[in-house]
Amino acid sequence: MLRKVTVFDGGFGSELERRGVLAPVPEDLNLTDAETVRAIHRAYAMADIISTNSFGLNRIKYRGKFAIEEVAKAAISNARTAGKKVFFDVGPTGGMMQPLGTLTFEEAYAAFSEVAQLTKDDVDGYIVETFSDLKELKACVLALREQTKKPIYATMTFDRTCRTLNGTTPEIAAALLENLGVDALGVNCSLGPKELKPVIERFLAVAHVPVIVQPNRGLPQLIDGKTQYTLTVEDFMAPMREFLKMGVSIVGGCCGTTPEFIAELAKYSGQEVEQPEPEYQTVVTSSTRLVTIDGARICGERLNPTGKKKLKEALLKGDIDYLAREAISQEEAGAELLDLNVGVPGLDEPAVMERAALCVQEATDLPLQIDSSDPAAIEAGVRSYAGVPLINSVNGEGKVMDAVFPIVKKYGAVVLGLTMDGKGVPRTAEERLKIAERIIARAAEYGIPRHRVMIDTLVLTASAEQPLVKETLKALTLVRKLGVKTALGVSNVSFGLPDRPRLNRVFLAAALQAGLNMPIMNPMDGEMAGTIYAFRVLSGEDMGAEDYISRYAGAVPSVPTATAPKAESANASPVATLYEAVRRGRKGEARALTEEELREKQPMDVVNGVLIPALEEVGRLYDAGTLYLPQLIAAAEAAKEAFAVLQEKFERTGEGRGKVVLATVKGDVHDIGKNICKVVLESYGFEVVDLGKDVPIERVVEAVLREQPLCVGLSALMTTTVPSMKATIEALRAAGCTLPVFAGGAVLNAEVAKEIGADFYTASALELVKTIEREVLGK
Amino acid sequence: MNSFDLEKGILTYLGFHGEANEETRARIKDILPRVIAAARFRRSEGRFTALPFFLQREPYLKFLSGCHSVVLEAVTLGGEVDLLIRRISKEDMLSGFVADACASALLEAYADDAEEPLGEERTYRFCPGYGGSDVRDVRYILESVKAEKIGITLSESGLMLPQKSMAGFVGLGKQARKTCGECMLKEHCAYRKEGKVCFAK
Repeated sequence: MLRKVTVFDGGFGSELERRGVLAPVPEDLNLTDAETVRAIHRAYAMADIISTNSFGLNRIKYRGKFAIEEVAKAAISNARTAGKKVFFDVGPTGGMMQPLGTLTFEEAYAAFSEVAQLTKDDVDGYIVETFSDLKELKACVLALREQTKKPIYATMTFDRTCRTLNGTTPEIAAALLENLGVDALGVNCSLGPKELKPVIERFLAVAHVPVIVQPNRGLPQLIDGKTQYTLTVEDFMAPMREFLKMGVSIVGGCCGTTPEFIAELAKYSGQEVEQPEPEYQTVVTSSTRLVTIDGARICGERLNPTGKKKLKEALLKGDIDYLAREAISQEEAGAELLDLNVGVPGLDEPAVMERAALCVQEATDLPLQIDSSDPAAIEAGVRSYAGVPLINSVNGEGKVMDAVFPIVKKYGAVVLGLTMDGKGVPRTAEERLKIAERIIARAAEYGIPRHRVMIDTLVLTASAEQPLVKETLKALTLVRKLGVKTALGVSNVSFGLPDRPRLNRVFLAAALQAGLNMPIMNPMDGEMAGTIYAFRVLSGEDMGAEDYISRYAGAVPSVPTATAPKAESANASPVATLYEAVRRGRKGEARALTEEELREKQPMDVVNGVLIPALEEVGRLYDAGTLYLPQLIAAAEAAKEAFAVLQEKFERTGEGRGKVVLATVKGDVHDIGKNICKVVLESYGFEVVDLGKDVPIERVVEAVLREQPLCVGLSALMTTTVPSMKATIEALRAAGCTLPVFAGGAVLNAEVAKEIGADFYTASALELVKTIEREVLGK
Repeated sequence: MNSFDLEKGILTYLGFHGEANEETRARIKDILPRVIAAARFRRSEGRFTALPFFLQREPYLKFLSGCHSVVLEAVTLGGEVDLLIRRISKEDMLSGFVADACASALLEAYADDAEEPLGEERTYRFCPGYGGSDVRDVRYILESVKAEKIGITLSESGLMLPQKSMAGFVGLGKQARKTCGECMLKEHCAYRKEGKVCFAK
């Protein structure tokens, strides 16, 4: 496609530095030294677009002395003096978003939204730049898009590995940004132009909107407070000319570039360049992983409480970690994306969905399929999702589509449409095709193109609707002709019949042949996953059968297997007794050996006769310096596994040794120490209520009052967070809590602990257990 | 990067001050490649011939006396490593602990390597928090070297994020070796009790 070249201005900060203007808050210069700001803008007047001096102007980052509104208005009017189009420059908040940091999506969104409200009437567009975190960029683009239809150009910074600091690739950035409706996308800052070439190639291979490139003037050197750049104008221009030839149509400069550089670029303004037109593909992503829905992609179905008692219980109890573990084991078993459904009667589905989606994204980087029939829950799941999610689902009913398509559009999602409507699932393939056509057409009316719609032709059970199984398969083939990708919940087919996996496998193979792209299935079923791997060989997707051979070379044929064994137990000879398993830290063997012990002994005898002595021995060796921390933890984990088995036998008589509430205090995110304490406490039979890290004071108080534990353990690693520990203890006392408080962490000692009001200081996890036994249980 | 030093570093972070057991070694062998794959080492430095204001007090002055210039630096492994550690911790706690130690040792090793071009006549890397200095001085170093460009931010409580990040400085013009004198853990240190140190001599 032919596009006309547009030229942006060059570096602003480096121009200030060159003029000897030092400003801790450069945005304030818009008011305090408007002359200099204007002079720089005017020096760039050969460009087509001037960006305002407002990079750090958002309420999270800005620490200047004026009102944001005032600075924003001044920034725009200063830029206007160059007589060119003015784009408002929006940089990141400088805060670290969850889950790495503590900044929430809504906080970032509100900050950007404020910027948009203050500026939308006065600017010609927005240049959103230097982002590393895809989620923060999403918050920004969403906030701007909600306020204005003016152009939004968005760029991220990439390193030599073609990833942003947080691991996002050009393809992932392009997929999300295009779906969110930006008008141009690309790369800025980062490196010099030459080093950016691979990034630009990758953008051009997937982008359908103009690609923008604003490189640095090479890598800077900071000497005596001055930033020095080495590239000459010609060094800079040679690769830039090449980029124009490749199809980049918006160019400018970032750090270190000066008006001399932009004057050279401006010679190309208005010239035509030819941007490649890549085919549209159906793509879902997390912030670091992209899955193209072609061939056969495995969507894990296990995060869906329907018919899964344990998951249902976990959701009701708020045991989010259970979800994380389920997610990880599906990933290990070969799932490429994960379905997430939290529909349990009596739960606040939107709230649970939001938390669950965050938790699963922290546990795995597989893209998610947000699965709900409640539009509010869908929106809660996709809003802060970092990437392009798949939404499951809409159907042919007008009111369902009208409720869900606006969410798909707004958040840049892909949507799965079910070929049914108010009248149920049609019997024939042709009728289902009609519904599919209707869904695709209605999606288009909402601005959702065909490649972002997938169709599920619906599996009915072979036991009840035997003749219709073939219709589902036929419908797949018909629907694929519409140019959309397909999905099926495969295992429904066998409901009500014996040996379900057998039917599932054969049906899966048939469905793949009929055109199925995304089976929603149990990846833990090794035979199901194996069917896919085999199909990929037969269909030619797995070139040279490389993947297949790597998985199955040396496999014993025709023995139905579970998923591949984990590496953990691979390199150690087995142990014979539970005592040895704990002593040597063999978690993998602890479960079976505990069950063996239980054949002859009472649970309590296993605890007192085996587990406690084994732990005592480990503790003794640890104190003697013969065993080290990893071995202590391994032993604790093995004992914990054994306790889990025993717990099932105890019938929940409350016969444990009591509860302990643990938290890493507000402001501190170091939780290794607290986690070690948790495992060791659990290995001694204590029940631990783990509040996590960076825990707000109120949450500690509320949990302690609710749980009424034996005692409270607080952890802090930094001198700067000790005051937060003190405040937490004070709040506990003020709330009338007289329970013993234990303090621990690298910067604490007995004196500091006493000073901040803790009852005990313990230097290690083992000491914590011993002190609780001695001082609290009175042993 | 010297892989012997790397492993020694990892074992040190894990608390070994003697021979490590086979299981732990096997676990490191399994986890270290995952950490290396997730790591995106970045570094930003600034060289100063005049001491920046925040270094013009003890214990920095003493540490830098005899140096003709100072190089401020910030390094990070990036956010993916943080997430990886958390993910591995959810698989099991010990592996998470090992992953954390691998990442810490890797960051040190990369940072050491990156200092090689500064020449032989240099001190070791001094980080605010050592020797009774104020850990909050990290803020000034991050600002001076524009560490936000390599993705390091400071939380309200003064934590660097991503967690596997360091900020410190190296004096040029003299050599200085590490000692235990500045360590806040020296009272409880298991190494010292055995007459050993936790760092490479």
